[in-house]
Amino acid sequence: MTLGTWFALFIALVAAAEFVRALRRRAIRQERWRRFFRHRTTTWGLGILAFLIIVALAAPLIAPFDPNRQLDIVHLKNQAPSWTFLFGTDVLSRDVWSRTVYGARVSLGIGALGALLAVSLGTLVGALAGYYQRWVDAVLMRGVDVGLALPRIFILLMAVALWDGLPFAALVLAIGLTSWFGTSRLVRSEVLSLRQRDFVVAARALGAGSGRVIFRHVLPNAAAPIIVSAALGVGNVLLLEASLSFLGIGIKPPDPTWGNMIADNASSIYTAAWSTLFPGLAISLVVMSLNAVADGVRDALDPRADAP
Amino acid sequence: MTGAWLLRRLVASVAIIFAVVTFVFILIHAAPGKPCGGQSENVDPAVCDQLNRQFGLDRPIPEQYWRYIVALSHGNLGYSASLRRPVAEAIVETIPFTLQLAGAALLLDFLLGLGLGIYQAGRVNRLPDVIIGNATLFIYSLPTFWLALLLLLIFGEKLGWFPVGGASDPVLCAVVDSVYCLKDRIWHLVLPAATLGLVGAAGTARFQRAAMLDVATQDYVRTARAKGLPERRVVLRHQLRNALLSFITRFGLAFPFLLTGAVLIETIFAWPGMGRLAFDAILTRDYSLVTATALVASTMVVGGNLLADILLGLADPRLRVRAGADVEALTA
Amino acid sequence: MLRRFHLTPIIVLAVAALAGCERRGGCTGPYCGTLIDAAVAEPPTLLPPSTENIVANDIGEQLFLKLADVGMSTNTVGDEDFQPLLAQKWEWDGPLTLVFHLDPRARWQDGQRVTAADVEFTFDAYTDSTVGSPFRPKLHRIASVTQRDSLTAVFRFKEKYPEMFYDAVYHMRILPAHLLRAVPRDQWTTAAFGRQPVGDGPYRFVRWQAAQSIELVADSTFFLGRPGIRRLIWRITPDLQVAVQQVIAGEADIREQLVTPDNVARARAAGLSLYPFRGSVYTLLDFNLRASDDTTKPHPIFADRTLRRALSMAVDRASLVKSALGDLGKVPPGPMSELLGIWDPDIRQVPYDSALAARILNGQGWRDHDGDGIRDKDGQPLAFHILVPTSSVLRRQYARLLQEQFRAIGVHVEIDELEPSVVSQRVATGKFDTAILSRQNDPSPSSGIAQSWTRAGFGGSNFGRYYSADFEQLVDRAVTATSRDQARALWRRAMETLNADAPGIFLYSLQNVGAVHKRVENVQFRPDSWAALLRTWRIPPEKMIDRDRVER
Repeated sequence: MTLGTWFALFIALVAAAEFVRALRRRAIRQERWRRFFRHRTTTWGLGILAFLIIVALAAPLIAPFDPNRQLDIVHLKNQAPSWTFLFGTDVLSRDVWSRTVYGARVSLGIGALGALLAVSLGTLVGALAGYYQRWVDAVLMRGVDVGLALPRIFILLMAVALWDGLPFAALVLAIGLTSWFGTSRLVRSEVLSLRQRDFVVAARALGAGSGRVIFRHVLPNAAAPIIVSAALGVGNVLLLEASLSFLGIGIKPPDPTWGNMIADNASSIYTAAWSTLFPGLAISLVVMSLNAVADGVRDALDPRADAP
Repeated sequence: MTGAWLLRRLVASVAIIFAVVTFVFILIHAAPGKPCGGQSENVDPAVCDQLNRQFGLDRPIPEQYWRYIVALSHGNLGYSASLRRPVAEAIVETIPFTLQLAGAALLLDFLLGLGLGIYQAGRVNRLPDVIIGNATLFIYSLPTFWLALLLLLIFGEKLGWFPVGGASDPVLCAVVDSVYCLKDRIWHLVLPAATLGLVGAAGTARFQRAAMLDVATQDYVRTARAKGLPERRVVLRHQLRNALLSFITRFGLAFPFLLTGAVLIETIFAWPGMGRLAFDAILTRDYSLVTATALVASTMVVGGNLLADILLGLADPRLRVRAGADVEALTA
Repeated sequence: MLRRFHLTPIIVLAVAALAGCERRGGCTGPYCGTLIDAAVAEPPTLLPPSTENIVANDIGEQLFLKLADVGMSTNTVGDEDFQPLLAQKWEWDGPLTLVFHLDPRARWQDGQRVTAADVEFTFDAYTDSTVGSPFRPKLHRIASVTQRDSLTAVFRFKEKYPEMFYDAVYHMRILPAHLLRAVPRDQWTTAAFGRQPVGDGPYRFVRWQAAQSIELVADSTFFLGRPGIRRLIWRITPDLQVAVQQVIAGEADIREQLVTPDNVARARAAGLSLYPFRGSVYTLLDFNLRASDDTTKPHPIFADRTLRRALSMAVDRASLVKSALGDLGKVPPGPMSELLGIWDPDIRQVPYDSALAARILNGQGWRDHDGDGIRDKDGQPLAFHILVPTSSVLRRQYARLLQEQFRAIGVHVEIDELEPSVVSQRVATGKFDTAILSRQNDPSPSSGIAQSWTRAGFGGSNFGRYYSADFEQLVDRAVTATSRDQARALWRRAMETLNADAPGIFLYSLQNVGAVHKRVENVQFRPDSWAALLRTWRIPPEKMIDRDRVER
């Protein structure tokens, strides 16, 4: 780590803190934001997420080494953390800190996009099934059943075989398209119970079209489990990516993702634990922060607080 | 639960299984890589041709598919090219191991998760809740294979409390035929089930906690409290039953993973289950084994879901059969 | 009160039952012992001609006998260093005729005598194209095998060459004709015999728990000496790390290959006995000399000998070995493992000289014209793909190391990590630029080299379609050379010719280190087949542990 990179890191920290502070100022005026920040963990979660995103965006400034450079394969292999190599080096003598920082880009990207795809698809299908019921529900849910009955690893393995090594987009697509089934069931059961509620009946009596009813009335009230699902979904995607990398399927080398860093260094777990520990902790950090933020969002959107 | 509903579900189940098998069949045949010459790199191409002819792999795919369906209808699951034995034999041998692992993991998941969730809900936002909440989140965010390697190192190698991989003591208990061997099997089951179960329990605990807090504010609980019923009873009867219901629903989502998705766990712990079988079959392009595993797994999943829905119907009167088309929509 | 009174004995009984009434056996003396091998792969079948699988070979060593076998020196020339097994003695009846006299004490497990009819049958099966044995090409110089009488088998060769005896005895395990004659030849790969073999060796097959373990028990009446270890179990643990852990934790006794320096250090720290032995596997980056989309056209990069040499010069093989394997690997002086007698570090190879490589590339017109760090010429970048199977952690690591080595001189490499079956198919059909392949050597270079580097191997294992008339001529002469020294000199020249053409980069030859529990004595690892001498291992009675004593 050089002076310049330390400085950049410091700036990133400050920027994240300022971002959170700016949002908290809103809380003074708006009820929703006040509810959002009710728990201290939400503030921390938001701050950590902001920090990670800034670090990912500013990776070239914060990482002292090229993440793919093998610095000295004979002498700098599996070095313990030091001032030069903040997180140590891995089995190919690459700086783990730099790889973690750059890996944030790909991992957060895959996580966000994959979860977004999965949750969107799942919500759409679940809402339609739960709202329209009858044959729409039957057909959609049978499709979901087929998707659920199919082991995900099967589909992914075979999908991968059809490509020659996965580009980023294909990986996101493959993960997203196989991860939405659970969400759809969840959303469906929420929508089913919600559609009998007074406010929905009232809206329909007032002549609101189905689409409007679904999107303006039903879904916002079903938001809580959807958001929790999305937050956990990102974590799931990140972990799935790690498992896939362990099986040899994933982003092409040498580009780092947190998942493939863990997988590539799994054989050094007993002798050089840092090369798997730090990317693993990064994943845990993202999952925990997301959860804290999701809790906050759920509190903010709590319909019970809005209802008369 | 009307007979009509059951019949409809059964027909739908068969359709699902059929769709799954067809989908997998097409996908595995479309994937590049031929089965022969998969393991070693020095196989005589003439031998490969002969093997391909023997298994009918040189015919066009629609014809192969038709022959497969016909064979299936006679109960013939085919022959495994990679294992050199009938597919049915190979799969049947893995089923008990898979069920043991899945069962143990689900048991741990349910008991631990439920226990923790209830405990947490009873002490909302106080220190134990916060600590357990963070701990479950942390465990939930660990890659399973990392947890597996860690557990093996600590409890298998360093402490020696549990065996390092395998399903049984190869010397004494190649066949489980005594109480001693039963204990041996359970001992071998602990670490792999713990790996799967801990992560599952963490998820269940979080879910349960949220569900129970949700329920706690609902009308019937408040009514019960207003009526002066003891808090304990309110909790135990209403919330517990709802917890069970949601667990049964989640079980339907978890089951497929435990059957064929636990490949990493089965590989690391050398547990001879269906996941590893399926995975190796895909790698070696063992067509009949892949489709047969998909068939068996999806049958178990669909059957499990059906069972879950029946249980749900029995347990929750709100979901029970009423006249009208709402029925299928609610329990489907 | 009453309830509690009756509960206690039940609890006590249950605890006692579960506490494990171990079947404590009573085996005493020098012929007890159970050894568990932590194997990482399961054999597809145990019928010897139908598989080249390494574990199948290890188990086959215990079940089936060869006529004779190489000694610890693994010398394959002549017949002085060979140990008699099934054949008690032999003699030459003319320059092309070899006569074996079988040991009359040899028996199959079902009691039948082993006869020359079995030998004749075995040769017929191994060379039958319907059986499709991978060993068939290695026997092509033997014209016929016939029985003169029930204990005498006669081998006739097509030509005279130094390794006639080796070819006659090494490749075939003698099979029971009376049990296999009835099995149709095209069904041998799937025969039931392969899952329940009956042999004549020091051990008998007991059971095979699919995906779990294979168990053998010693034949106490074995005519060459009762095996010291009573029971052998191959336990299948797919993950290498876990297999090593099992041996460290004492749940297994043998791990014949530790592979990584980390594992060696851990094994040593755990008090296991370590046995280094020359490895029989070497790994290379194979260049495809034909275009990846059309095998009739030359490859745009790798058909050019100068380019191949330049690229070979850019790779610091010694550092790569040091980094990935530490002391457990050596840079091979050609397409060979250390097992081969022709291994000679003085064989001339393409040197490591990245400066020279850069100059050559510049001279050929490959310069970085557009400043993107990658050399190009006529608008085409100097780039290619490396194909590597996902099954090997070591090869994947090497792919990354090579990628970086090439990047340093301005060559862009993409790594394609694909499943082994896909890699095999791509490589067999020539749809690749380069691939990291591992080859297992026999103790003799004669068959392997021809299969992999001559025109005879086109469509076979000469995936890169390398051809050099000079090289082929030298190999022919080396194989038929009459004296060992002459053969060595010729092989050396052949290797130097091949090295100069740089058809690939020979990356490492594994130095094996096996770990065995320290109670086992008289352990010998024969480099070409570590399990060949298992029957001579012993466990002294005073060092026995629980599983050694079990009697079943």
